[in-house]
Amino acid sequence: MRLPIIGYVLSDVIVSWIITLIIGGFLLWWLTAKRKWPLILDYIGTTDNRKIGTMYILFAILFFIRGGMDAMFIRTQLAVPDNDFWVFQADKYNEVFTTHGTVMIFFVAMPLLIGLMNIAVPLQLGANDLAFPYLNAISFWLFVSGAFIFNMAFFFNAAPNAGWTAYAPLSNDTFTSGPNNNYYIFGLQISGLGTIFTAINMIVTIARLRAPGMKLSRMPLFPWATLVTSSLILVAFPVLTVALLLLMFDRFYGTSFFGGEFGSPVYWQHLFWIFGHPEVYILVLPAFGIFSDIISTFSRKRIYGYTSMVISITLIGLLGFMVWAHHMFTVGLGALANSVFAITTMLIAVPTGIKVFNWLFTMRKGVVRMTTPMLFALGFIPTFVIGGVTGVMLAVAAADYQYHDSYFVVAHFHYTMIGGTILGAFAGIYYWYPKMTGKMLNEKLGKWHFWLFIIGFHLTFLPQHFAGLNGMPRRVFTYTWEDGVFLFNFVSTIGAYLMGISMLFVLWNLFKTHRSGTSSVDGDPWDGRTLEWTTDSPAPEHPFPNVPVVDRLDAYWYAKVNQTNLPQTKDVRPDPISIRTFQPILLAGVLMVMSIGFIYHWMWLQILGGGSVLAFFLIRSWTDERNEAYRKGEKS
Amino acid sequence: MKQMSDVLFLDKRFGFFLYLVVEAIMFATLFATYIIFTPAERGAHPSEVFEWKTVALTSIFLLSSSGTLLMAEKGLKNWSRKWIWVGLVTTFLLGAIFMGLEIHEFYKYAHEGYTLSMNNFLGAFYVLVGLHASHVAFGLGWMINLMIQFTKDMPRALFIEKHKIFNYYWHFVDVVWVLIVTIVYLPYLF
Repeated sequence: MRLPIIGYVLSDVIVSWIITLIIGGFLLWWLTAKRKWPLILDYIGTTDNRKIGTMYILFAILFFIRGGMDAMFIRTQLAVPDNDFWVFQADKYNEVFTTHGTVMIFFVAMPLLIGLMNIAVPLQLGANDLAFPYLNAISFWLFVSGAFIFNMAFFFNAAPNAGWTAYAPLSNDTFTSGPNNNYYIFGLQISGLGTIFTAINMIVTIARLRAPGMKLSRMPLFPWATLVTSSLILVAFPVLTVALLLLMFDRFYGTSFFGGEFGSPVYWQHLFWIFGHPEVYILVLPAFGIFSDIISTFSRKRIYGYTSMVISITLIGLLGFMVWAHHMFTVGLGALANSVFAITTMLIAVPTGIKVFNWLFTMRKGVVRMTTPMLFALGFIPTFVIGGVTGVMLAVAAADYQYHDSYFVVAHFHYTMIGGTILGAFAGIYYWYPKMTGKMLNEKLGKWHFWLFIIGFHLTFLPQHFAGLNGMPRRVFTYTWEDGVFLFNFVSTIGAYLMGISMLFVLWNLFKTHRSGTSSVDGDPWDGRTLEWTTDSPAPEHPFPNVPVVDRLDAYWYAKVNQTNLPQTKDVRPDPISIRTFQPILLAGVLMVMSIGFIYHWMWLQILGGGSVLAFFLIRSWTDERNEAYRKGEKS
Repeated sequence: MKQMSDVLFLDKRFGFFLYLVVEAIMFATLFATYIIFTPAERGAHPSEVFEWKTVALTSIFLLSSSGTLLMAEKGLKNWSRKWIWVGLVTTFLLGAIFMGLEIHEFYKYAHEGYTLSMNNFLGAFYVLVGLHASHVAFGLGWMINLMIQFTKDMPRALFIEKHKIFNYYWHFVDVVWVLIVTIVYLPYLF
């Protein structure tokens, strides 16, 4: 469609603009009519870990809807051979699978997990907040800023189109010259910075803010997983930062690191996967932690093999850095390199297997309660095992020459990412919802959600293994009758719609829970084992006026068993200082402005935005909340 | 209960050290990039671009600035305003001279036709050394800010905290420079 001034635009962009404006207008009206603005301002200016965690999850759900719609478009286009669904062919299809992948990894999976970490980790440690509340708000708003930059691209008809891996030389300005992949660079760069700050925050919190008596060997497994994940982020994300920086120099300033006559496209692959492979463990380890806590709680048993669980996550974390080239078996690195990386990859199955058996043994002879979080945990185990088995198959370098870039790979990583991370996030949300909001999500609707989702999931992705083995390559927008993959694809599409429908149950559940009339719950609705259940629901901003003293793992549980209370103390270290500030959201806005300057090569906007970003360092330095706090300390 | 400023300083220091780990990995990746692409098959060879005089001069100024910063650190320890001033001002001046020399070096290379698009050796050189130079520039701004804060009424514990965090940063930037000299320049100077 050709519009005046704007030029040639496909109808999906126009429809999205119209729908977004209508929904946006309705939302503004609704917020004003219901007088919700004070509440929203309260959340925007907060540094409280629970509120920030809740916002992470809300935004993750928003982007989940976006990434999910992309998935629906993909599956609809692939439903039947030689299909011509709406506009989603050729270039448009490239955009859709690129945004689907990038959004789901960086703006759904990451914030869901970071949100749950924000809510649960400090509470489980007996800490009153994260170590750096202000920095936490910065992290969150950097994530929002990056996510908005990335999602904006589509609305300006310039969605990134080089795949979520942005392989060079395709991602270079020679082959994708528009602003499209500039959006990718800046969206990831800014949200990545936020993730790095979160990792620092988590590590310092876990290292220095644990309750008295909570040695590392008495710490619940979710904080343990968070600690290992944060360490991985600390090492992996800077590599992505530099890779994106170099790609930016290639696209903007005429260097040729990854393309042209001097460049090395394989070097991009190395850098990307040195980040990218630890990234998948970054995504799955927190889910392991969540499942460990949930399975233990709902089996009324101490987690089986606690020490081996800790050793396993640490080993997975370490091995995660030694396997990146298994994404590059077909590049031609040579037999030796392929063999080494094949072996390290297979080794990861060992600690993962240990964890699976530990979860099973935790349930053995336990009093198992089939609540919604527990259902998700139980659904996770077989699903993830299938994903793990196909992972070991892919690790066989010689066989990988057949599997590489086929739907078999697509099926594999959806089994691990959805089976691990997304099921884990759902389980965590149902589990900790009382801590977030003070209300319980409806169990019946939760179970509907689980069953529809898990059935839809397997319907979608199990056939994709066979489509791949029958030779269907990934990232193609159509196939023919003769290819013999129609049935697999058709079933897959049905499954995808089932998953989509299951998500409606989540929205209905949220609506129903908050409609009114539903009463608040007490602090310990699940009969939990860890310290977060000793606080009120929702967790107050200062949850531990007196900090509990811990003498073993699951100390709260054993106190309940012995019908005593946990001993408490006031003699603890001072808390981090929480404040109200609008600097983080303003910084996010300024970074967005600067990024737009770069994306469209507007020099004046780059200078304006960059200068304003630097000004924020000064503003921060001069409005430091420690000034007042230390002054009080000096007087007393 | 322990003194609030002591505990919060230890939090901040640990967090900042972790941030320096992040920075170190970024620089390490850029060093790897430089090593992989240098010397390039075509275009300028490092030995025709680099001059030992510039390297020696810049190194003298930047490395001695880490030494002069120790004076300020001594001043922080004994709370001597004089030593803090002397340390900060000399460090700033030495850093500023380094910055001037660095800008001059870049300008001269570019003028001689050694631009960052000539080949990947020069591309990697400019990105790596440029990132370091921007760290020095940021540090100079940071020092000005510290000096202004020093003249204002600020709790002593907070100023010491801010100053110490800056010291870690500046020493880190110096260590990176030592690595740049040994990895980027030295192999091609003699």
